[in-house]
Amino acid sequence: MTRKPAESDANDERSDEQLADAAKEGSDAAFAELVARYQERLLRFLLTRCASRADAEDALQDTFINAYRYLASFDPRWRFSTWIYRIGIRNALRLARPATGAEVDVVDPSADPLKDAIRASDRDNLWLTAREVLSADAYTALWLRYVEDLSVREVGDAMERNTSWAKVTLLRARNRVGAAITAQQGAAEGEMYG
Amino acid sequence: MDNLERRLKEDAAVIEAEVSPELALRIRASLHAAERARPDERADNAGFSLWWISSLTGVAAALLVITILSRNADVTPETPRVEPSANIVPENVPGNDVFMPLNAETAELTGPLEEELERLKSDLEKARESVERDLRESF
Repeated sequence: MTRKPAESDANDERSDEQLADAAKEGSDAAFAELVARYQERLLRFLLTRCASRADAEDALQDTFINAYRYLASFDPRWRFSTWIYRIGIRNALRLARPATGAEVDVVDPSADPLKDAIRASDRDNLWLTAREVLSADAYTALWLRYVEDLSVREVGDAMERNTSWAKVTLLRARNRVGAAITAQQGAAEGEMYG
Repeated sequence: MDNLERRLKEDAAVIEAEVSPELALRIRASLHAAERARPDERADNAGFSLWWISSLTGVAAALLVITILSRNADVTPETPRVEPSANIVPENVPGNDVFMPLNAETAELTGPLEEELERLKSDLEKARESVERDLRESF
């Protein structure tokens, strides 16, 4: 942003795609509004994919910078959320696999940004369970489908896979998480009744 | 929405992801410093050049094909003059008892044989004359 950064307008009722269009035309205020709308959603997702909160924050920053730089390539036929998540996933992967020779931050293996970010709850968070039983891709697909409400096709697009892959992965992920919940419940009942 | 979907949504919502003022400031500062990649002039020029080169190549190829085709159209296909190398009349055809000589153009090949034949004829003639002379002298 070479001009003065604009504050977001909380009353902006334009859709994400309309804002992206305005930002493409040069409106920094429109882009600031997109940042305001997505920063928490993206950070929540990145906390589940990165090794530390610092990594998640770096990935968030890089995602917005990349989106701003390459806004001209945004195709308005896509949903903005699909596009920005695609960038976010790439950044999370890049941080997970540092380039050879790159300086690597030492991460405390006992630190878990997701566990740290989960508020005290009376039951196990399903996303912790999902992380244990699913691959990283299946986990991301499940998140995009049920937290971000992307369609199956959009999940495939965001993950640079085809729709069939997304459909099968989501079905298997649901089955696995469902089976894990059943197992947890069985174990809890077993403990309860001795 | 089924039970699993509802639980997934609820459990995602309790993940604390508040963006601290410091992080917000950092993001704003980095965006302020970021230059937007223009739909690159260089890329545009490269695209235009590629389009131009491919168009020229296409036109040149089309002209070449047209030229070749028109050249071929002017030249009427020349049927090679076929001279019968032999008129062979089957011997068993009734009423055809005349054997036509071969008109093969094989002079180069038959020349030496003809010379040899001439020499043999000459030798034969000499031998005949010699025999006749011997007979005359004997009787």
